[in-house]
Amino acid sequence: MGVLYLASLLLGITCMLLLDHRFRLFFWWDAKAAAIVTAVGVLFLLGWDLAGIGLGIFLRGEGTIATGLLLAPELPIEEPVFLLFLVLCTMVLYTGARRLLDLIPAKRHEKEREHV
Amino acid sequence: MTYLWLALVFIAAAVVAGVIFARQGTRSGEARKHWKAVGLAFAALAVLTAVFDSIMIGMELFHYDASHILGLTIGLAPIEDFAYPLAGAVALPGLWMWLTRKRNGSTSPGGESNLKGLVPQALLASRPVSWINTAYPFAAAMLLTTREIDWVLIVGTFYFLVPYNLAMYGINDVFDYESDLKNPRKGGIEGALLQPHLHRPMLWLAAITNIPFLLVLALAGGPAAWISLAVSAFAVVAYSVAGLRFKERPVLDSLTSSTHFVSPAVVGLALADADVTSGLLILLAAFFLWGMAAHAFGAVQDIQPDRQAGIGSIATVIGARRTVRLAVGLWLVAGLAMLATPWPGPLAAIIAVPYIVNCAPYWNVTDTTAARTNVAWRRFIWLNYGSGFLVTLIFILQWSLTS
Repeated sequence: MGVLYLASLLLGITCMLLLDHRFRLFFWWDAKAAAIVTAVGVLFLLGWDLAGIGLGIFLRGEGTIATGLLLAPELPIEEPVFLLFLVLCTMVLYTGARRLLDLIPAKRHEKEREHV
Repeated sequence: MTYLWLALVFIAAAVVAGVIFARQGTRSGEARKHWKAVGLAFAALAVLTAVFDSIMIGMELFHYDASHILGLTIGLAPIEDFAYPLAGAVALPGLWMWLTRKRNGSTSPGGESNLKGLVPQALLASRPVSWINTAYPFAAAMLLTTREIDWVLIVGTFYFLVPYNLAMYGINDVFDYESDLKNPRKGGIEGALLQPHLHRPMLWLAAITNIPFLLVLALAGGPAAWISLAVSAFAVVAYSVAGLRFKERPVLDSLTSSTHFVSPAVVGLALADADVTSGLLILLAAFFLWGMAAHAFGAVQDIQPDRQAGIGSIATVIGARRTVRLAVGLWLVAGLAMLATPWPGPLAAIIAVPYIVNCAPYWNVTDTTAARTNVAWRRFIWLNYGSGFLVTLIFILQWSLTS
């Protein structure tokens, strides 16, 4: 059984959390809200997965870099970890983009348009 | 087409939620920036999806029933797969804005820091050097019974490695704060382990990191697992929480402390549906006696400060000398008990010897010299690693004998 995929995901999650920590973006900005967003995101996407599995769309592969451990039929143990990574990545990108946009001084005509 | 319809249903739900949350959560003038950032985040995610989804499909991690997808792909990634990052990028930032709407109005980046240091402090407080002491009994008990590594084993081992210790020591440090304050010998306010403004967050952290694992493990097992998990969690809380404070109740303190280390093994056996044999019961009893002895001996060094603070422990009640002798006696009984287990269990009897040798010099210790046992206590922590090594060798022998 391979742990490469799981290890890569955990490494990716670690990197996202390091970015989060360095720039105080998500968990280091508001831990409670971040925990709720993460939980909601993972559960929502997991529900999507389960619906796809139930409809027979998603099929687990036999890749040698996966552990092969299953949480449910066609649902490998790596999947929730992947979804966690996806949610963290999404939120780090969004909060990071917001931070960058805040650094750009708002242009005049844009400001005016917002009041129309 | 099925995948497309499925994706559209979930995207629709995400868009509705995202728009409503963004409306409620952003201040006037902020919405524009919000959607711009959402667009940027999705653009980046789409590129990442095209690259990494292709890699993941190429590595055969998963595939799709061809009759259910459109057949349009970017790289190897079916076009429908881009629905995941799209839904996430539309809905989650909206939820985030809504949840943080109060804070965003008043503070600037870096303005809040009242939780600063919580996670590092919690990790440090959870004594990483001792994490293995709770994870090992669980993993060993379960692996030797099921003889395979399944997800319950991985999840349970992680639980008893980190979150369990976070709860045990986090709760302890919160409720020790008050008793430490009463005790100038322990340094008063400055010597306290955890500052008061972190108390509530620490208890929340313990709850959030423990309850999901307890529920998942309970779901994976039957009534035996439920009872052992409940006993385990109760012992963690009752040891230090105000009102119960088992750690200040003589004898009950040693019993509870030993439960902290034996209960993970019992949970592992329950989850693995182990057969209850007399050999197994003797093994658990010996382990329990070992744990009691360890706790009682550890309490000897604190006799003086504990008495001055009016805190009870097994050592303050029966005195230093008798506590040391009791600990040596308990280790002796634990070692002898192992002789009654099936082969290769009797080999483990030898593990009791270094503990007895380590403590025997304090056979005649008095209450006034009790603090000197700290030297042996520090050796004791490292002795545990040696014992773990021997126990592992015996387990490997047992494994090879039974396979």
